[in-house]
Amino acid sequence: MPSMDFLKSLTVAASGLRAQVGRMRIISENIANADSVAQSPGGDPYRRRIVTFASELDRTIDANVVKIGPVETDSSDFLVRHEPGNPAADNKGDVKYPNVNTLVEMTDLRDAQRSYEANLNVITATRRMLQRTIDVLKS
Amino acid sequence: MPISDIPILSMLRTRMQWHQVRQQVLAENVANADTPNYRARDLAPLDFSRELQTASLGLAGTNPNHIASTSGGGSGSQFESDATARYEIRPRGNSVSHEDEMMKVAGNQMDYEAVTSLYTHSLALIKLAIGK
Repeated sequence: MPSMDFLKSLTVAASGLRAQVGRMRIISENIANADSVAQSPGGDPYRRRIVTFASELDRTIDANVVKIGPVETDSSDFLVRHEPGNPAADNKGDVKYPNVNTLVEMTDLRDAQRSYEANLNVITATRRMLQRTIDVLKS
Repeated sequence: MPISDIPILSMLRTRMQWHQVRQQVLAENVANADTPNYRARDLAPLDFSRELQTASLGLAGTNPNHIASTSGGGSGSQFESDATARYEIRPRGNSVSHEDEMMKVAGNQMDYEAVTSLYTHSLALIKLAIGK
């Protein structure tokens, strides 16, 4: 069944799209929570989350698709600012802010977008090839 | 002899299959462009001289005194993938370059379109021969 390979290519590229969308979702969570401090005085704020990718052999189509692995948390230190008036401040007047660097997140978002477009490009090319196969039948 | 066994058509079909498998390998590369330790792969180029041999273009020997043609049966035309030397490997251990892969996808698509139009034209020649 020759044209099955095109369907495989489409499935693989679609798995790439899905993975990049999941990555963008986590990145936007990070950006949205870039200033989310703790609810209680002296508590821990939002911790940055990181998406991991894993290549996985999809046995139904016998091809290496990409899956989103476990979403890890960034264990780096929180940003501490001295704001005695803040409701989340501890008894020394320090407030912990999330370890999210918006600039890093924006570059990451741009990278995810680029990968998404690349996968989309593969789908477009594969669809054109499939169309050419159908054109042979029509001739 | 069925039409699908005509050597030019079967050779073109092998070539089309090769492009389909290559498209899948390239799609895997692009999808795994952010997977740690993933190495980009590509198909080994199709060996056309071997295809010529397996397509049995040789002469048919109807008499034992005929000189045998040189068409030998090649091994099955399974395509091999080839981990070629890459331009860059990123710190994550991933060697997929988007630009590279996009060039290959575009090239693969154009070659495939060339093969399909050759196939269409070969079919048109056969139609001409049978007077349709």
